[in-house]
Amino acid sequence: MTGRSARFVILAALIGALSVTSVGAQTKGFKAPPGKMVIWAFGQPKFLQLQIDDYFQRNPSEVQGVTAEVVATKGEEEVRQKTMLAYASQTWDDMADVISTFPVSMQAMAEAGVLMDVTSYLAPFKDKFVAGAYDQAFYKGRLWALPRSLRPQLLFYNKQILDKYGIDPKQMTTFEGYLEVGRRLKAAGNGQVFLSYEDPGSRTWRYWGRRGLMPQAGARIWDDDGNVVIDKDPGALKALHYFETLHKEGLLFNSVILQPPLYQATREGRIATFYIGAFYDEFLKANDKDMAGAWRVMAPPVFSGVNLGGAPVVDIVGITAKPNAPYAELYKRIWYDYNFNSPARQAYTLEVLRQNGPVQNPLSKAMLEEAFWKEPDPYYGGQSFKQMEGLGLRNVSKNMRVTTADAEADTIISAELEKFIANAQTMDQAIANMGAVLREKIGTAPANPDR
Amino acid sequence: MWAMRHAYAFIAPFYLLFLVFGAFPLVWSLYLTFQEWDGLRPMKHVGLRNFAMLLRDQRFLDALGNTAIYWTVDVAFIICLALLMAVLLHTPRLSGRRFYRLVLFLPNVTATVAVGLVFIMLFDFNSGLVNALLGSLGLPRLGWLNSTGLSKVPVMVLAIWRATPWYMLILLSGLQAINPELYQAATVDGAGPVQKLFRITIPSLATVLFFCFLTETIDSFRLFTEPYITTGGGPGSSSLSIVQYLYESGFTVFKLGYASAIGYVLTVILMVISAAQVIFLRRGGGAMGSAP
Repeated sequence: MTGRSARFVILAALIGALSVTSVGAQTKGFKAPPGKMVIWAFGQPKFLQLQIDDYFQRNPSEVQGVTAEVVATKGEEEVRQKTMLAYASQTWDDMADVISTFPVSMQAMAEAGVLMDVTSYLAPFKDKFVAGAYDQAFYKGRLWALPRSLRPQLLFYNKQILDKYGIDPKQMTTFEGYLEVGRRLKAAGNGQVFLSYEDPGSRTWRYWGRRGLMPQAGARIWDDDGNVVIDKDPGALKALHYFETLHKEGLLFNSVILQPPLYQATREGRIATFYIGAFYDEFLKANDKDMAGAWRVMAPPVFSGVNLGGAPVVDIVGITAKPNAPYAELYKRIWYDYNFNSPARQAYTLEVLRQNGPVQNPLSKAMLEEAFWKEPDPYYGGQSFKQMEGLGLRNVSKNMRVTTADAEADTIISAELEKFIANAQTMDQAIANMGAVLREKIGTAPANPDR
Repeated sequence: MWAMRHAYAFIAPFYLLFLVFGAFPLVWSLYLTFQEWDGLRPMKHVGLRNFAMLLRDQRFLDALGNTAIYWTVDVAFIICLALLMAVLLHTPRLSGRRFYRLVLFLPNVTATVAVGLVFIMLFDFNSGLVNALLGSLGLPRLGWLNSTGLSKVPVMVLAIWRATPWYMLILLSGLQAINPELYQAATVDGAGPVQKLFRITIPSLATVLFFCFLTETIDSFRLFTEPYITTGGGPGSSSLSIVQYLYESGFTVFKLGYASAIGYVLTVILMVISAAQVIFLRRGGGAMGSAP
């Protein structure tokens, strides 16, 4: 154990002693049954393990004889594969007690009876959380997962580049201004400085499309009856044609995201902004450490007339409906502690930051008011990234309606967008193909059960 | 049969395992081809709809076309290069043969995923070594990974680079089995190296070459990791392989019936190609089993 880790453990133990009152809402004298609590997770699961280990250390009487293992998976798909295999063979012992998931799989698993309905457990906390915290866990009038975090969509910009070319970042508060900034950078930088980047694969649709321009423009893939409307919906056309302009004018640096060529281009000062997400914080700090002080964060540009930021990304975990669900109660207590035990949360966050992990601002409105979540960050020249995470959750757009058909829809839409980015078809052709292939392969998606 | 019960008892474990892990999945996946199922909710019988959809699915047809290209190019390059390398390694006058054999075999023991990531860097449009080399020759940079026309090239280069050493080793062992007296006799008769290659080496290796051809055909149709890592099958479906599409259908969008239908189409294609190869070889002089 390193000196810092040892200090973290001691601090965690002290916090545990001090924070008994803050978890007073939980049942006293709880004891989990001996055994192993298994969690299938993705993203950066080591931080979930850190959180659970921390809870176990602070609450030894609850977890006597209990161990916890967070099993890292490649992503949501693998979690669903493992869940599907265990469920199809009815081998509940092989099923995890808790799983990380996304709304598409959550809906399918909820329908199949794999997930525990947590509506009654979550209901009392709704007013304590930021708006939208439950949105993605809601399906057919019930809540099927516990929200762990809600990350906003932020625009990261390289202040040094903008200063060099005399550009005021306030110009990027609208998409018209954002486009104009791109044009100025291209002209002043002799085509070597780009407004942002585009990925030749599926991530362009994920970040620019599903999480960014589409919800910001109020776009829809399906109408409430499940009919395909992406090729005629005014919002969808606005979003896709805006992206077309950025691409055709050569304002986007074409490179695979999360790979060395993009880190290098960023270091060389060729990328002025990153649209759109909060995860670029980890991306930049881990791969472009030497750029400390260069970057700043702001709310993303908005479309005139819509005036909404991007759709926040939720991190949700479901409790599986195993017979007797031995660790359901324990996980709820861990979740509650994470959201309402302020000293423990701060100590945990400091340790995560020390390891270059994701900040994950609290969902709790009261916690967000604490000074800790407004502390300056040297990487952003003294600007508080944590505060921006909180502020970024104001004025957000709603996520596009997710249906059980959306995993397939994403592959179809992304394939057409990729062909456009590769200059193998025009945007008009891409949009027409999106509509045609969605109708051919999916037909109609499930109607909106919550309209 | 009762008299042979001990023998049956000894071979029973294989058949039991085959039944559970071979025959049952085969029959089950055939059943699935007629169903719509996401692995969680109840199945829905759809008859032949999955197969009918395949015929109209442009992504499937693209994957099929790409796989045919991978097969043709990979088989041609891999077998020619493997034969060339094996012949060179078999040259009696070559010193340091063990060292060359080791070095040439290394690509086959490297992890495809790790090498795939290296290939992404090599073929990167902006900072890749391949484009830097083209630039140094005064040629324009090419979008190896981000254009629909060229995205298959890195995939094929990686597949060829990885598989060639394996076939080189097989052909080398075939070469070592050829009777050296044949070459001595040919030398006495005044045959040159090229004549020896085409008159002795290749005919003697016919069975081994057929084995290489068949196994590489199957491997090419099963190509997955190379496009999955380097291009993700894109842009669009320009480098998508058929097994990658099967995986995507089954384990990304969870259409297990549709994925099973793709699997069965692939099986039929491989059976037809393999049968055609066997017939072709038998008709072409009965070379099978004719190695000296």
